[in-house]
Amino acid sequence: MALEQVRSETAGSIWKIVVAVDDLVQPGDVIMLLELMKMEIPIVATCAGRIAEIAVTESMAISANQLVATIERSDPQ
Amino acid sequence: MTWHDEVSEIERRRKRALGLGGEDRVRRQHDAGRLTVRERLAALLDKDSFVEIGALAGEGDDENFVPAGYVAGLGRIDGREVAVGGEDFTVRGGSERDGRTKVHLLVHMANDFKIPLVLLHDGAGGNIENTIRRGYMQIPTWLNAAGEVGLTATVPVVAGIMGSVAGGPASRAMLSHWSVMPKHSADFFIAGPPVVKRAVGLDITKRELGGSDVQVHVSGTVDNEGDDELDCFRQIREFLSYMPRNVWELPPYREPTDTPDRKEEGLLSIIPRNRRQPYDMRSLIRLVVDDGVMFELKPFYGKCVITCFARLNGHVVGVLANNPMFQGGALDGPGADKQVRFMELCDQFHIPIIYFVDVPGFMVGPDAERSGALRRGMRAFWMTYSITVPLLQVIVRRCYGVGSATTSRTDRMNLRIAWPSAEFGGIPIEGGVDAAFRRVIQEAPDPDAKRAEIEETITKLRSPFLTAEALGVEDVFDPRETRPTLIRLLETAQAVSAYDLGPKSRPGVRP
Repeated sequence: MALEQVRSETAGSIWKIVVAVDDLVQPGDVIMLLELMKMEIPIVATCAGRIAEIAVTESMAISANQLVATIERSDPQ
Repeated sequence: MTWHDEVSEIERRRKRALGLGGEDRVRRQHDAGRLTVRERLAALLDKDSFVEIGALAGEGDDENFVPAGYVAGLGRIDGREVAVGGEDFTVRGGSERDGRTKVHLLVHMANDFKIPLVLLHDGAGGNIENTIRRGYMQIPTWLNAAGEVGLTATVPVVAGIMGSVAGGPASRAMLSHWSVMPKHSADFFIAGPPVVKRAVGLDITKRELGGSDVQVHVSGTVDNEGDDELDCFRQIREFLSYMPRNVWELPPYREPTDTPDRKEEGLLSIIPRNRRQPYDMRSLIRLVVDDGVMFELKPFYGKCVITCFARLNGHVVGVLANNPMFQGGALDGPGADKQVRFMELCDQFHIPIIYFVDVPGFMVGPDAERSGALRRGMRAFWMTYSITVPLLQVIVRRCYGVGSATTSRTDRMNLRIAWPSAEFGGIPIEGGVDAAFRRVIQEAPDPDAKRAEIEETITKLRSPFLTAEALGVEDVFDPRETRPTLIRLLETAQAVSAYDLGPKSRPGVRP
């Protein structure tokens, strides 16, 4: 099974994580919210699959391009 | 006596050129997932519209004739003339010969006929073999460089990056208004892996060095990417459909298929009442413009800003918008660069600009400082005050700080339309209060309560109705009226563009 890395486009702090490991997601599903410039900006699933790992915790400060989650792909690439 | 023999000789020689660099080379081009230059021209241009010029150029006798490594001519796209050509990679890898070549002819053709120039690049420029042939080393000289630079002031110039493009052709591609490359079959760099290996000792593949992941998504050096070559040609045709033939003509009006007075219910709910929640700005734009059709430029770079062409009641408009989904829409260096280029492009070709504003200001923080966000942001401000094309502003939500001053011109009529969701200010309340009332807050028995009290006082002043009462914003509109209102204003403004045709000059020094 191919693993897909989900990365944050920008720096910010993790506001809320809305999925758990083993949850099934579709492309575009919100997996967590990043707080930045007083906005809650969604970080979304980039493919369909199962959440294999969540690499951050709530209120953690992250940098641009940081790995935030890994998805085990269920769709053919 | 007639000239029949010579005329058949012309035919014979033309046919000879159709063979390109020979069957083996053509097969290798196809195996690399690429079309030949002649296939590209056939796919890009209107059927049978290509008039080739210079087909007889080449070297060698009949037995081993090799055509010149470039195909050039006059073609039509949607019935409109373009000067068009590209390197033939099957001949010496599309490398250039010394002296005046077909590409120089094309530059003159675009300039003299005042028609767009479309170049489909597939080559690495000079070939070191030329030095041996010539017998001496040459100072790098760009034939008609001033002509190529000047061309960007008068006619649309488009660059397709079709193969491995480096050196001269890569440099030339930067002298364009817009560029596009396919996702999986092209590479673009200053110099390729062998040169990189010798210069910096790094082993790297072509794709890692200059695939679209790098040049479209990271550096922004190339504007757009296509799924494949055919998709790139579709995008080139689409880009040109918004462009006038040259700066002496207005952009092409098209009979609208959408109604001007369409009032879209969706606009009433698209901005969430929760101020911390972003929304999809692209959906907002689609609800306003003709048939929901927008052609986005540079979608993967400078993502805090959206730049696209669209039509309003058949008239071409350049749409700029802040993107709240990317760092809340705060303007950073890449976004500012993108805005500068788009504004200049619209101004050059007399395309009115509509700005959908939702900007908290310039991006802040160490990354912003280290990347020169203020200088680059102020370059956007400088450009806003240097363009003469009509600029209409719709404030849909946040409009804060000097970052927001890059979206409208206070020295003109400056008709700003605000939605009821609009909020304005020099400094955001959150954070602004801490800075201005630090001592008052610190010295209060309950600092948090004091901060909340001051913030509440100011928050009560945030209503756009209070600002409108003071004519601090020209008007507050029902969001559903956005399309009819913009069309009415745009059509009045558009008439003025007709008095302003021709090249534009830009005095001053950009920040």
